[in-house]
Amino acid sequence: MLNNKKTLALAVFLLAVFVIVPYLIGTTGRKDFYYTLTSVALLSIASAGVWLTFFIGRINIGQGAYALMGGYVSAVLVMSYGWSFWWTLPVAGILCALASILIGFPILRLRGVYFAMVTLVLTEVTRLLALALPITSGAKGITSIPLPGALSIFGITIIPDFATMENPRIAFYYLAAVLMVLCFAGMYRLVNSRIGHICMSLQQNEELASSIGVNIAALRVIAYAISSFLGGISGAVFVAATQSVYPSSFTVTDSVNFMLNCFLGGLGYVFGPMMGTLVLYFGWNLLFETGKFQLLIYSTLMIVLMLVLPNGLMSLRSLWKKG
Amino acid sequence: MEQVIANGLYLGAQYALIALGLTLIFGLMNVLNFAHGQMYVLGGFITYAVYGQLGLPFPLAVFASGVTLFVIGGLMERYLFRTVIKRSHREESTMLLAAATAFFFDAVILLIFGEKQRGVPKIVKGVFNDFGVILPYDRILVGILAGLCIIAFILALKYTKPGRAMRALAQDRVAAQLMGVQVERYTMLGFALGAMLAGVTGGLLASITGINAGIGGPISIKAFTMIMIGGAGVVGGAIAGGFILGMMESVGLTVLREYGDVTYLVIFATLMIFLSIRPNGLMGKPWG
Amino acid sequence: MAHILEVKGMTKRFGGLTAVNNVSFVVNEKEILSVIGPNGAGKSTLFKLISSFLKPTTGEVTFRGERISNLAPHIAARKGVVRTFQETTIFRNMTVRDNIIIAHHLRSKASLLGYFLGTKIANEDQAAFGKSADEILEFLGLLDIASETAKNLPHGHLRALGIAIGLATDPKILLLDEPFAGMNHDETMKAVTMVRKLRDRGLTVLLVEHDMPAVMKISDRIVVLNFGEKIAEGTPAEIQNDAKVIEAYLGVEDEAIEL
Repeated sequence: MLNNKKTLALAVFLLAVFVIVPYLIGTTGRKDFYYTLTSVALLSIASAGVWLTFFIGRINIGQGAYALMGGYVSAVLVMSYGWSFWWTLPVAGILCALASILIGFPILRLRGVYFAMVTLVLTEVTRLLALALPITSGAKGITSIPLPGALSIFGITIIPDFATMENPRIAFYYLAAVLMVLCFAGMYRLVNSRIGHICMSLQQNEELASSIGVNIAALRVIAYAISSFLGGISGAVFVAATQSVYPSSFTVTDSVNFMLNCFLGGLGYVFGPMMGTLVLYFGWNLLFETGKFQLLIYSTLMIVLMLVLPNGLMSLRSLWKKG
Repeated sequence: MEQVIANGLYLGAQYALIALGLTLIFGLMNVLNFAHGQMYVLGGFITYAVYGQLGLPFPLAVFASGVTLFVIGGLMERYLFRTVIKRSHREESTMLLAAATAFFFDAVILLIFGEKQRGVPKIVKGVFNDFGVILPYDRILVGILAGLCIIAFILALKYTKPGRAMRALAQDRVAAQLMGVQVERYTMLGFALGAMLAGVTGGLLASITGINAGIGGPISIKAFTMIMIGGAGVVGGAIAGGFILGMMESVGLTVLREYGDVTYLVIFATLMIFLSIRPNGLMGKPWG
Repeated sequence: MAHILEVKGMTKRFGGLTAVNNVSFVVNEKEILSVIGPNGAGKSTLFKLISSFLKPTTGEVTFRGERISNLAPHIAARKGVVRTFQETTIFRNMTVRDNIIIAHHLRSKASLLGYFLGTKIANEDQAAFGKSADEILEFLGLLDIASETAKNLPHGHLRALGIAIGLATDPKILLLDEPFAGMNHDETMKAVTMVRKLRDRGLTVLLVEHDMPAVMKISDRIVVLNFGEKIAEGTPAEIQNDAKVIEAYLGVEDEAIEL
């Protein structure tokens, strides 16, 4: 399945994520980097979902809606029903997937800009839902969410209570990293399996895919459900890490950014969303120094990028190969 | 009841104007102008600056809004969108460019005008109070002005040379090219016009509800919703979408007030169901 | 010979335009039937209606007695009614062999989840598809180009690939969309032989075509459309001598071309 070069690359990557990074942070004392990298990992999971929707030929600018939904599901279950965070994680994902199936049925047959429009509105509507529903406590959001408790199975503690840790940030980092690795491993497997081939056939030619018996409507719904599941999980962990959730925790801007992460990293590469998120997140943070000009510079760079590399960052790679 | 209808009509006229601009751009370029709401906001601020701060006459202020946005729109098409569309075959590129321009507008507007809500003095004082309808005169005036703009726009599209050229372009780009329509010039004109409409509406509405930097995004979303309802790329669709949304908002605000801010949820849920039956909106051309 | 496909009273209207008007005919098992007609006669609309890519306004299509006309296209394919596409529609960025392997989708015994997890059945499927693809490649004479990327193929080979993809689904009736379009004489003769081989394999073939000599050569029976209506049906000899058919074709040549 994996040849030697790829196995080596994987080993190096895992080593970097789980060993080298914590070591570097420990020695340089830059503990804030844990939070940064946790964010990158979680955002890349959400972006992976967007990438998957693209994989079946749809432009998804609505992942923020599911991140928000997942976050709220987790928060409400923990605060109002006393659940352990660990159980809310899969439930958040699954509820988002179910919601997306419901929403997906009418909208997935729309294409191109039409579909994008609807997903954009979706993000905004979720925000309004969060404001309006009593269960989500409106504009003040849900705060003071306790840190994740211990996870024990059959009396054996697998994950200790976060509150007992000296620096829960490290634990969140590992959690996010593990989830990210699982997510991308799954995506890699999906893309390179027959399912991946069928999805690619869908992208290239829907009618031909139909004519060889592919149920394209069902396939789209499945992909969208998985995508939303990823969004929900990402949101749930995010909320646990920040211990609060507001209607504005994930906005239209975030939805657009998830898209941008994918585009920058390259829509043809499974690991594109990871790369794109890394670059963009650090880029945005670097710009923090510019104060009130942050958005201006960021958007200007985005515009320049579109003008210069209209086919994404990875098109540089193919240019470089030619030359 | 009459109040609800009156409010709906006045809102609808404004919204239709916004939707017209957006649908024009979409029809001509298959581009969704994410920055449409921000253009509205910019128009509103320009009117605020010219009329509210400099004290110049209101019509001049609105005119200034229109002209500024017209120029900006034209420049955007010429230097940004045209380049990207030519060089990229992906829809995502133009969409991300559009999103980037929206962020850019947001940033600029924030920097220049700040975060505060701004208002302008009433252009016409007094309130109309008859037939069970209470409507301030300035709203009636603005509603009528919007209506006139819509009519002028439709007439221009139908009977002027640029109007016909743009309609031909929107229907079939290649055929229009073969018939000698200068595609580039009219695309640019179309985008400029679309931007102008957004700016003018912003200027008009600023005189009533004031303006602040944060409403750009939500207005864009509203505009998209209108197009989804009425169908994108079709003038009739934009107008229908605008009035329908205006009506629904008016009804929602009165009827659903007790339930909180659920108006838009209801609108959205209805939209979802509606889209399942008619994916292209009431009158839209099929995409793809 | 039993009939395998029946088109009954097929009508399709697009707004005010009637593209196909009350067309009826049967296709017999293991025969090669061609649908011809001048430009705009409604052939390609009829083709899409039969393969379930369009829904009829009225009328129906039955396959082995079962109604297929209102089914989703992928279900019609599952039942054995498979269409090919004109050359431009193929999985462009994959190799010829991969194209054919993917097209075996209908024959997979494992579920999608099985493929994801890599279960034994899934792996057996993959192996079987590979073998079957090789057989098809050989049957159509495409073994040499098995590793070529589809988009680099010349149109003769693309046409063959289209048929290969159709064959991978294990169809009962294959609907060919203008299989001889744009071919020179030699290519056409090769294609004619290929279509005959399809019938020898046990398939029924329905094709829509413009190329008269090829159609006359290969068809068992022919159905002629004009302005959306069936104007004649019969053997090639009968059709060649049918007054209405001659008029339809001659008439079109005389008139000025209206777009």
